[in-house]
Amino acid sequence: MSNQSSAAARPAHSHVGRYVVVWAALMALTSLTWGLSTVHVGGFAGVALALGIATVKGALVALFFMHLWDQSGPNRLVLITALIFVALLVLLPLLDNATRFPLANPPDAETSPQRIRDAILNEAPVSPAHAPAAPR
Amino acid sequence: MHSAGGGAGAAMHGAVAHHFESLEKQGQAQRLGMWLFLASEILLFTALFAAYGVYRYLYANAFSQASRGLETWLGGVNTFVLVTSSFTVAMGLDAIVKGKNRRSAALFGLSILLGCAFMVLKGIEYRHHFLHAELPGQFYGGPIAGSGGAMFFALYFLITGLHAFHVVVGMTVLGVIGARTWLGKYDAQSHVPVELAGLYWHLVDLIWIFVFPLIYLI
Repeated sequence: MSNQSSAAARPAHSHVGRYVVVWAALMALTSLTWGLSTVHVGGFAGVALALGIATVKGALVALFFMHLWDQSGPNRLVLITALIFVALLVLLPLLDNATRFPLANPPDAETSPQRIRDAILNEAPVSPAHAPAAPR
Repeated sequence: MHSAGGGAGAAMHGAVAHHFESLEKQGQAQRLGMWLFLASEILLFTALFAAYGVYRYLYANAFSQASRGLETWLGGVNTFVLVTSSFTVAMGLDAIVKGKNRRSAALFGLSILLGCAFMVLKGIEYRHHFLHAELPGQFYGGPIAGSGGAMFFALYFLITGLHAFHVVVGMTVLGVIGARTWLGKYDAQSHVPVELAGLYWHLVDLIWIFVFPLIYLI
């Protein structure tokens, strides 16, 4: 790269070094999250890990490629406001569905009463106290 | 009406529109307007992400089974391609900041080529889904019993389809702005449209960074 001529010509300082570092970090984090998915961390930890890495990558793009790091003020506020609404829009419907009376969910959902009753009946010989239709 | 059009045209060429104090303030207003638009784009995708979250909760096993059935390498390679195209767009902005128009336009052209590569890989993937009847809703003919598989592929096509549409729009924007850069419409002092085109492309990359783990990895 010929940085000398540009540095002499204009006060506008070069961002090339920063862009290269951010690009390398994004490629490395993509490889990391891809590699971790083959290990099958599974469950909540796997989801949290994958989304955590994605958030770090997204922050790198927003701060350095999109220049929020050096441009102060309202642009950051717009993004932060949008992210607050992202959190609300994703979490509230999720909480709604997670706390519904089971019959309000689709009949073949994996949280449906039919599935739950099947699971309990399968365990019945081990723990009869949990059997649903205990004789009165 | 004519004077308003003239004012916008003059702003593109670096003159300050009459209602702005300085070129710097005009640039800040243009960036703020772009960020407001990008925020609305983020919320557009958030509606789909929220639907994905809810149905992933309701059909957790079906969703992870469907996700495991996808070609992860295609999603992974596409992530590398899109991240690299974001890097070349950033380098294109750096070139115009230094007054190197041809170099900036060439880097935007390279980004468009990477966008084409992304779309080709996405097309290969879609073809695979069509051949295996991995389709949304009632057209789903895959191996997963119940509504879970059909629901996963409905959200899969909505999310990746809307994103692919944004990739096409982004390539068009990069093409128009890149051509104007090549023709010398922008220079080291006045290049806000180049910056805004870059912002749009980075947002397309940013959204894919979240789509990749949601669809392919978890």
